[in-house]
Amino acid sequence: MIESMANWFLSLTWFPQMELASVKLLSVLLVGAGLFAFIAVNAIVLVYVERKVSAFMQVRLGPMRVGPYGTLQTVADALKLLLKEDIIPTLADSILFRVGPFIILISAIVAFAAIPFSPTVTAADMSIGLYYIVSISSIVVVGIVMSGWASNNKWSLYGAMRSAAQIVSYEIPVGLTLLAVVAMAGSLNMNEIIIAQGGSSNLFHWIPLPLPNWYMFNNPFLFIAFFMYIIGATAEINRTPFDLPESESELVAGFMTEYSGIRWALFFLSEYANFTLVAFLTAVVFMGGWQSPFETIFAAKTSLLVLLALALAWTGYVKTKANRLSIYPLAIIGLSTIAAWLFPGFAIWITEPGLFWIAMKVLSLIFLLMWFRWTFPRLRVDQLMYVSWKVLMPIALFNLIGVATWMWLTGEIQF
Amino acid sequence: MNYFKNIYIAISTLMTGMKLTLGYFVRPREYVTLQYPDEVWPIPERNIGTGELASYNVIRSKLHVDIDDCIGCKKCERACPVGCISIDVLKGDKGEDLGVTKNGTSIKLVVTKHQIDMSECMFCDLCTHPCPEDCIYMEADYRFERNDNKRKDVTVKERWRDRSTLIYDFAKIAQEDVDARTAKIEEENRLKAEEKEKAMAEKLAAAAAKQTAKADAEQTQNVKADVETTLFKTTEGGES
Repeated sequence: MIESMANWFLSLTWFPQMELASVKLLSVLLVGAGLFAFIAVNAIVLVYVERKVSAFMQVRLGPMRVGPYGTLQTVADALKLLLKEDIIPTLADSILFRVGPFIILISAIVAFAAIPFSPTVTAADMSIGLYYIVSISSIVVVGIVMSGWASNNKWSLYGAMRSAAQIVSYEIPVGLTLLAVVAMAGSLNMNEIIIAQGGSSNLFHWIPLPLPNWYMFNNPFLFIAFFMYIIGATAEINRTPFDLPESESELVAGFMTEYSGIRWALFFLSEYANFTLVAFLTAVVFMGGWQSPFETIFAAKTSLLVLLALALAWTGYVKTKANRLSIYPLAIIGLSTIAAWLFPGFAIWITEPGLFWIAMKVLSLIFLLMWFRWTFPRLRVDQLMYVSWKVLMPIALFNLIGVATWMWLTGEIQF
Repeated sequence: MNYFKNIYIAISTLMTGMKLTLGYFVRPREYVTLQYPDEVWPIPERNIGTGELASYNVIRSKLHVDIDDCIGCKKCERACPVGCISIDVLKGDKGEDLGVTKNGTSIKLVVTKHQIDMSECMFCDLCTHPCPEDCIYMEADYRFERNDNKRKDVTVKERWRDRSTLIYDFAKIAQEDVDARTAKIEEENRLKAEEKEKAMAEKLAAAAAKQTAKADAEQTQNVKADVETTLFKTTEGGES
């Protein structure tokens, strides 16, 4: 993307004829600024979405006062955080205290460089993209321990220690589940992993449904690996079933206890950046990234019909269970089915653009993680370790062997 | 096997929880939150009286006075145990028609002030029973906030201590009218007092004249005696 952007700049007539290296540097800066803007706006939107989702799950309304339906609430909150006093405790380690949040934020932002938003929009299409993301995003723990230690506060220190233990533990099952996918794809390049998941749905699959050819549905072992990856990723980004580092009811705010104002906002920003990063990684690795689930317009039409049938079944279920008719999903899917059938041109958006599809996948994964957060109670420390070492680890190893066996059985590898 | 059972139980219970939250998520219209200043809970119409008091279904939240029916008898003011009602009345003009209450009593007095300090009221409902016109009663409206304490010249602290938003003045009569009536009554009183004074002065003058006449008569009569008394007057005298 950097190369093509630099070449595009040089092809412009009004652009000053500079050396290729400096134009590349300019492109790198522009891409970095774009990524940061994306992450910041994304965090603002996601905080609002999270508050609304949590509100609806708890039969509340959520923010309603600032702007229509409270849409400007997070903008107001961000402004407030920027204007707040920046307090550094007297006995805190001043340098580490200042540096900590930036390390966390940088590790979250830098990892976005290898995320393929679409075949052309990939900041750095590197051959070891997956490895890079996994390794860079584990630097977060350094920043967390740094800020927790520097705060000179027992809650912060406890939070940081828990965070270190948790992230180090969950790196292993997460790495093993990703390794299974890497074994299937035979590549660490994110775009190649996505391309390997292309192709239309296969009716003669291990699941007798017209499902897309994603790794998630590729074989039963990877199906389990998908859910294990979700669990491990939730633990790695410190979200609620595993939010021990900042458990509000035990440790005030964990490693962020002493922070205020803009530094606290940086923690929040990096939390949501990591959240999005994990959703992107899951979408890329297990759900086909920017690939459309429908290969052809015909497949799109038939799949929409299947979706319509599923929506009908769901509506009927809701009707019988709650004596209430939820028409919206039915209406949306039905209308798009009719539109796709009547105007084949309409269905092109279903098959073509990658940005739309990766956005849809990422948003549904984000909703899944929010759903987790507002449903599950927090684990105890020993339960956390139990889940990591005694449940996820053995199953991940078993899965890895299972995937290898599956590949041998289906003839993808030979001995 | 306990190990796999644990995993199964964990997954199934988590699924139960997720089903529940999704159920609430897909029907957000069931929320119970009310956007308070814009919408309020309906006030329940309950009947708290039985038997003879069956009609007594008042939720005691705020005192209200139908000032058009008030005859200014001050019975409620006297009944109030905490003294939160203060009433001022003025006499009506002679022959002035001040209206009739809903019970048919003609009003004789002008109520210039009927102030109830709701910060002192203890909602005992004792003031409502003595009222002969049933014009003071408890309302179910629980909202006391008013938007009229935005004065700039008071500090925040003063505003917090300020109770003026809880003091309700029900009298509708305009200040000019009150002033005019007071002036008129004062004028009347003054005229009356003057008249009285004049009458008193006349009376006094008449009495004094009578006295002097009597005294003159006595004087001429008692000249001899006077002379005698002065002759025999002791040092402690001065009785005349």
